[in-house]
Amino acid sequence: MAKTLEQLVYDFFRGLPAYTTDMEDTVKAIIENFDRPVIKKKGAILTELAPPNKDFWFLCDGFLKEIYKNPFMNEDALFNFIPPASIFVNEDSLFYNKRPQHYYKAYTDVTIASLSNEKFQELKSKYPAIIKLYLSGTAEIQKNRRSRLLMLRMSNTQDKIDWVRDQRGDLYKIMDRVTLAQYIGVSRASLYRAFDKTGKSQF
Amino acid sequence: MSYDKDYDIIHEGLSQHVQIDTSEDQQALRSLAKRFSIRTFKAGDSLWELGTNSGQLHFILSGAFAEYLMDGRVPHLLRFYSKNRFAYSEDLILYSTRPATYTTCLVEARVASIPAGALAEYLMNEELGGKLLTSLIELSMTEYRNTTYEMLQTNGIHRIHAAIEQFPDVLDLIPRKELADYLGISRASLFRSLKQIENG
Repeated sequence: MAKTLEQLVYDFFRGLPAYTTDMEDTVKAIIENFDRPVIKKKGAILTELAPPNKDFWFLCDGFLKEIYKNPFMNEDALFNFIPPASIFVNEDSLFYNKRPQHYYKAYTDVTIASLSNEKFQELKSKYPAIIKLYLSGTAEIQKNRRSRLLMLRMSNTQDKIDWVRDQRGDLYKIMDRVTLAQYIGVSRASLYRAFDKTGKSQF
Repeated sequence: MSYDKDYDIIHEGLSQHVQIDTSEDQQALRSLAKRFSIRTFKAGDSLWELGTNSGQLHFILSGAFAEYLMDGRVPHLLRFYSKNRFAYSEDLILYSTRPATYTTCLVEARVASIPAGALAEYLMNEELGGKLLTSLIELSMTEYRNTTYEMLQTNGIHRIHAAIEQFPDVLDLIPRKELADYLGISRASLFRSLKQIENG
């Protein structure tokens, strides 16, 4: 049976390195303040995150593409690929009160739920431990960005493919080749050449 | 020697990251700027070491540094810090863990620094500290995001342009070997791309 939003959010916070059992009340309060989940069909753009949304979003189920306008290619390109049980936000709106440069598109059918920024601010004054959870959550995102950067700096396409397969098997097994090429920062032709050279298929 | 000009620059740097609402905020920021101490680094000197437990928030007044992340026993260039930028180990300053990175001076530099202990006291006890803490998190997340944009470019020339957008003086400050590592391209490819850029 699929987990409920409550179970998923609870598991998420319990999995953070900063989580301690005395934060139980804080996590319960966070869960209670989440809005009801919304289902989006594969290919849909998440208009809920249109400007000026500063809410905290939780991906309960499915995979999301985080897309940005690549100024050098003059086209929309993949910035990140988000797996289930992740928090995602409009960084430009939340951090800088700016119109977002990124948008989210459902790669599969997805279920999402939000914790409004107003509710987050209210919770922050009642439950100071929320700051520790926030810091721990951003630390995890930072670690992921850092390790992905190491992969992006590899000069060999096959090494990049191997990195995604070994380190991010959850993403590798679901991404099509176009998405994989964008995720590792190579052209489609380079990706196909790498697969042809090894004679391996992606799956 | 008077450091007033340096403190003005540090204050200016801090003000770019902390929203100042009142004259008290302005005063508090100015006194924070005065708590930084200034020293000179030579090429090869360490700004922070791997696994150290003594963190500092640095503000680069001149020169350049490179931050490396260890992957097993191999160091990989993660990012650069140059003039008018804050440099700090997020692991230490924000997340209270030993740093997984180390940072080395590439070009002789003058740096203003405040110890993590003094900063933490400020971040936790002063009203403005909360704003500064949020700003440091945002700064760190945004820097990783901008560097990721660079590396998502499939073409060497686009990567160089994206790097210049983030660090306008990157070509003047950073030795070519480090720049090639940073961009994930060979030195030959870097030279070819730079020549193409030069020829328009």
